[in-house]
Amino acid sequence: MSTPTTRSRTGTDHESAPAGSVSRTPIRPSTSRGGGAQQPPVRERLASGAFLAPAVLLVGALLLAPFAATFYRSFFNDHRTSGFAGLDNYELFFTNESLVRSVENTLMWMAGTVVLPCVLGLAVAWLTNATRWSRLARLCVVAPYALSGAAVAVVWNFMLTSDGALNQLLTSVGLDPPAQGWLLEWPSNTVVLILANAWQATGVAVILFLVGLQGIPPETLEAASLDGAGPWQRFRHVVLPQLRPVSVIVIGISLANGLKSFDLIWVLTRGGPGRLTETLAVSMYQETFLLQHAGAGAAIAVVLTLIVLAASWLYLRRQLDAKGD
Amino acid sequence: MRSFDTVRAGTPPALARRHFLAAAGAGAVGLALTGCARGSSAAAVPGEVSISTDNSDWDDGFRRAGDALQSLTGYGLRPESSPEAIAYKQVTQMTLETSRAADVIKWGAGYELKSLARGGKLTDLSRLWERYEQKGWVRGGQRASMSYRGAVYGVPLYESHYVVFYNKRLFTRLGLGPPATWDELTHCADTLKRRGVTPFVATQFGGWPAYQWFQELVSKIDPDFYRALVAGRARYTDEVAREAMDIWQGFIRKGWMTSPDFDQGNGAAALKAGRVGMFLYGTWGAKGFSDLGMRPGKDYDAFVLPTVRKTTRKSVITESGVLAVPLGATRHEAGVESVGAWLAPSVQRVWADYLDDGSANPAVRAGNPVVAEVRETVARERMPRLIRYGEASPPNLVQGNTQDLSSFMTQQSSPGDTLRSMAERSEDEWAAWKRDEA
Repeated sequence: MSTPTTRSRTGTDHESAPAGSVSRTPIRPSTSRGGGAQQPPVRERLASGAFLAPAVLLVGALLLAPFAATFYRSFFNDHRTSGFAGLDNYELFFTNESLVRSVENTLMWMAGTVVLPCVLGLAVAWLTNATRWSRLARLCVVAPYALSGAAVAVVWNFMLTSDGALNQLLTSVGLDPPAQGWLLEWPSNTVVLILANAWQATGVAVILFLVGLQGIPPETLEAASLDGAGPWQRFRHVVLPQLRPVSVIVIGISLANGLKSFDLIWVLTRGGPGRLTETLAVSMYQETFLLQHAGAGAAIAVVLTLIVLAASWLYLRRQLDAKGD
Repeated sequence: MRSFDTVRAGTPPALARRHFLAAAGAGAVGLALTGCARGSSAAAVPGEVSISTDNSDWDDGFRRAGDALQSLTGYGLRPESSPEAIAYKQVTQMTLETSRAADVIKWGAGYELKSLARGGKLTDLSRLWERYEQKGWVRGGQRASMSYRGAVYGVPLYESHYVVFYNKRLFTRLGLGPPATWDELTHCADTLKRRGVTPFVATQFGGWPAYQWFQELVSKIDPDFYRALVAGRARYTDEVAREAMDIWQGFIRKGWMTSPDFDQGNGAAALKAGRVGMFLYGTWGAKGFSDLGMRPGKDYDAFVLPTVRKTTRKSVITESGVLAVPLGATRHEAGVESVGAWLAPSVQRVWADYLDDGSANPAVRAGNPVVAEVRETVARERMPRLIRYGEASPPNLVQGNTQDLSSFMTQQSSPGDTLRSMAERSEDEWAAWKRDEA
């Protein structure tokens, strides 16, 4: 319906352009920027500029300027008297085993922190949305989100060490704990870290999905039921499409959290054993502050920023375009 | 009236908003000024010298030692501790660039101190050291680990030896004694293992503990090789290092060592409970046993790890913290004066008793009988004191190699691969150190 209407309007405009130019003149000023009379007064523009200035200055001074300085620093070496090094610091991503492993871990974290909190969050939200004990269940899932990453790491450390609670539990029920500890062998240690992170991060996904679920008009579900749709069909074809805006936010948040994950890893393993569980955020800290390689650390920061920006842009652009606004 | 009313009606919200904005602005300016203002921690306090440390557990000890210092210098000590060692290093290095650094800072010896001193922000304490030497309050061998390019930049904070603590009651029950030879040590380990006790604490948890067994095994095979290795004059792939790794690998495979994620903080409790038999640790660990109510000499004791071969010269790994005075110290003179009196016996008596460990002043006997006995044995047998691995080489080399040893302990890397990686890093980092020195 809408397409023919648009076409006909467009066609009319083109056809009537010569004759209708006069009659369209009064409309033009609303889109024209040439008419001085239609511009906002200088005072208003100054006022709006003044309101914008603090935010622009803050972002510029605290975000853009440090990023520019970091980008600049990444082209210099880490000798005591630092000299220009070209792309040497970026070459480390191909030559340094620890950094290659760090990139692998970061990709694992990206996948894990998007899939697990979203799937678990949606499942918990859906299952607890209408049950009698939903509040208690929700509280249990959401509570870890209120804890700091470091506190969560301390709790998981208590669970995961070789003489920790998890192994004791396994032993008590007659199962053999893994020969190597939960956090000592790659890649299982990274997987365990991602699971520990999911335990905490699912809470926020649950909250957001619940908000989305409660915003779904019940009439749509009733209509689907009347049409003979089963629970799964209702969920798949009625609920999920209406959760799309919330999903965009949940996946976006999870993606950013996964890429910048630091505290849990640092407190649980310090990136170790060796440098096996480092992600790029941990590698950046390791190189910059422990090894005093500010140039290498800056290069990692730049690459990490590019990955975050690219992932966010690709994802959000697609989702927001598809949404139509 | 209407317009008046209108104005009156419209004014309060506008005023309220302006007031709110003004208050918020004033608050932000206030916060900014407060943030830029000099904190109380950096401010000079009459009669006190600020000492910056990375160990809040020692705050009380510094205060007590400060009381003893006050009678000598007129200044007490005001500890400012940072809870996290890595953050402490960063903050300290940054404050050295300012004119408001702490009066005295705690730092590591050896290459940790050299790295800091070569920035030119520490006070030359060579004269003070000479006075200490004249009084016999330091040993000649301590100077090297406190110096950079011939000048002294630090005073030893304490002196700990790496020893093996053991559960004396458990040993007696099993008919074991402190081993004097390598065979006796392995016999002890074997007996303990057969009785369901893990013989040794060995862990990489926390990072640095990963090098404890490496430094011990290498130095107990050949102390001269250890010296050459950490100085960059020998290779990590040489025979002695390989032998040390093979012994270590054997211990792990026999189940003689705790899991590599064991928390050393629980070592004393595990020893007391008889879950582990022997605990390789610095003598500063004695305080942990005392805190658990274990009596020195009765419930626990200690021995220096025997050499692998009987003909090898005995040696002991030694660790010293450092007190240094920043050039930009808020009360520079008072800082130097306090460090100049730190090793006075009256101060060291209080400090060593607090630590339950050894004083850096050889004239002060340790209060803990186990530590005192170890120190007497070291002196009597003229054991060379070898600087701890953590401070014996450039910091980046130590950092990377410790991570390699972590990988080895968790069986993620073979002994050969571990040593090759360490050797390559050693070449790179020594080259970087020498280039930076040049």
